[in-house]
Amino acid sequence: MRPRRMRLSVTAQGLVLLAPALLVYCGFAVYPMLDVALMSVMKWNGLTPTWRFVGPQNYVQAATIDPVFWVAFGNTLIWTAMSVVVPPLIGFALALGLNQNLPGRGPLRALFYLPVIIAPIAVATIWRWMYDPFFGLFNAALTAAGLSGLIQDWLGDRAVALYAMFIAYVWETVGFSMVLFLAGLQGVSRTLIEAARIDGAGRFATFRYVTLPALRPSITIVLILSIINSLKAFDIVYGMTQGGPAQSTQMLAMWAFTQAMQLGDFGRGAAVSMVLLVVTIAIVIPYLRWMLRRDATA
Amino acid sequence: MSGGDRWFRAPGITRADPVLVILWVALIAIAVIWIAPFVFIIFTSLKANSTVMGAGPFAPPLHPDWSNYAKAWMRGRFATTVLNSAVITVVKVPLGLLISAMAAYALSRIRLPFRRALFLLVLFGTMLPFQVMLAPLFTLVNRIGLINTYVGIILPYLAFGVPYQVFILHGFFRDVPRELSEAAEIDGASHFTILRAIFLPLSLPVLAALLILDFVATWNEFAMALVILQDNGTWTLPLGLMSFQSQFSNDYGQLNAAIVMTVLPATIVYLIFQRYFVSGLTSGAIKE
Repeated sequence: MRPRRMRLSVTAQGLVLLAPALLVYCGFAVYPMLDVALMSVMKWNGLTPTWRFVGPQNYVQAATIDPVFWVAFGNTLIWTAMSVVVPPLIGFALALGLNQNLPGRGPLRALFYLPVIIAPIAVATIWRWMYDPFFGLFNAALTAAGLSGLIQDWLGDRAVALYAMFIAYVWETVGFSMVLFLAGLQGVSRTLIEAARIDGAGRFATFRYVTLPALRPSITIVLILSIINSLKAFDIVYGMTQGGPAQSTQMLAMWAFTQAMQLGDFGRGAAVSMVLLVVTIAIVIPYLRWMLRRDATA
Repeated sequence: MSGGDRWFRAPGITRADPVLVILWVALIAIAVIWIAPFVFIIFTSLKANSTVMGAGPFAPPLHPDWSNYAKAWMRGRFATTVLNSAVITVVKVPLGLLISAMAAYALSRIRLPFRRALFLLVLFGTMLPFQVMLAPLFTLVNRIGLINTYVGIILPYLAFGVPYQVFILHGFFRDVPRELSEAAEIDGASHFTILRAIFLPLSLPVLAALLILDFVATWNEFAMALVILQDNGTWTLPLGLMSFQSQFSNDYGQLNAAIVMTVLPATIVYLIFQRYFVSGLTSGAIKE
């Protein structure tokens, strides 16, 4: 039995250890999140001390009179739909390939992952230059190959720009899916695969009935993280197009920023942020509950 | 792998598998596509503008023009931006890891009131997108008078770095056997001592992985820096590159030299500490 004084001091020690991280996290992450909700019902330019409560007006205006909001909303949907399919699929294929006994697989893994660790704003700059209509890689290569009919103003054409930007995003993010799948493949029992093959199971059957079931948690994780990451796409938009041409690559995170920080309407910007935040939280909470359940049973 | 003669074998099969050979060729082809942007950037960074406009994109720079780097360094104010990035990273990364380790220890090894709720609150933060909070972050930092200061950017960096690190370290500390700390507790050692003398040395590989991951994340961060560091004397490398891109986008050689100089530090760190990246990234997402 410990004396009571000791017990108290253990709690105090715990609080001292916890306090710095908790304070900075609550002050600079949780508080701004609550502040977004508050700002979204205010009319405010972000700088003056005076602001006005306007209720749901910012949301109503975003949905009814702001023509850009629905464009940004639609683009975010398209972007997320593409992001949850294309990079995970390529990453999955690469992981399956690089999990085999192949020469040079170490350097190949490193190469596919390299774009992930480069600053996203540098990825945007690299691809903007490759899409340069006159001297960029794509148009120069098309000209050299005698395909000048296919030349595009990649980031200047409203019909093409969003998809051109997405190709850069694929290059940037495939390595992330690949590494998570490779880690998942480590958990697939090698003995089980060998046993299946020796028992005469074909390549496809082994994949379908041994590898794939064992990868189900990895697949869930990659898909959820892909959705969440795609919803917050900001650097790549800012660095490549700033939402243009004519808002054709505008997305919600970028539009929230533009309204608040560039047009000085913090209320409208916050309302757009709230839409994105609510969607994200609706995905995150069930995911975290699933993670915790897995953690508890592991 | 034990050498060349073992390549191209499927598990449990002794002969080379032709399907694996085809697969390998396909992977090499994709790798060529993946590496092409890097080659293009490096080649262009060594060419004079007239060469960029004249020769093909993959024509190697036969007479490398290194002056692009010196010129881009001056025009892009790299001396300033590298210094700012270095100061912010060197302060933020170890400090963030320290407070995260302290909090993770408290939440996993000390019976605190509401510790489950506190842990969930922190866990929630691992998924919180700061990209939607740029405006309130700006007004908050502005209200306390820290716009254009190192402290003003380090505080939000710390706040958004804490959740993932606490989550990873919490999982690690929780699994440390009780016997290791009990002896010290009976000897009357404080929790500060136990953390420093037992838990931190024990978790060096995890700490190293988190340190490297956080170094790259901090070095590369753009959006928060964009709203908080508005004066060009306080800009970090990514902000400097963005400005270079919008001002001098027609000086192709220099633009590409600026890109190379911006991505080189993180690339070198990655190539040296590769295995830590994978373990730091996957220990959070996938546990086996």
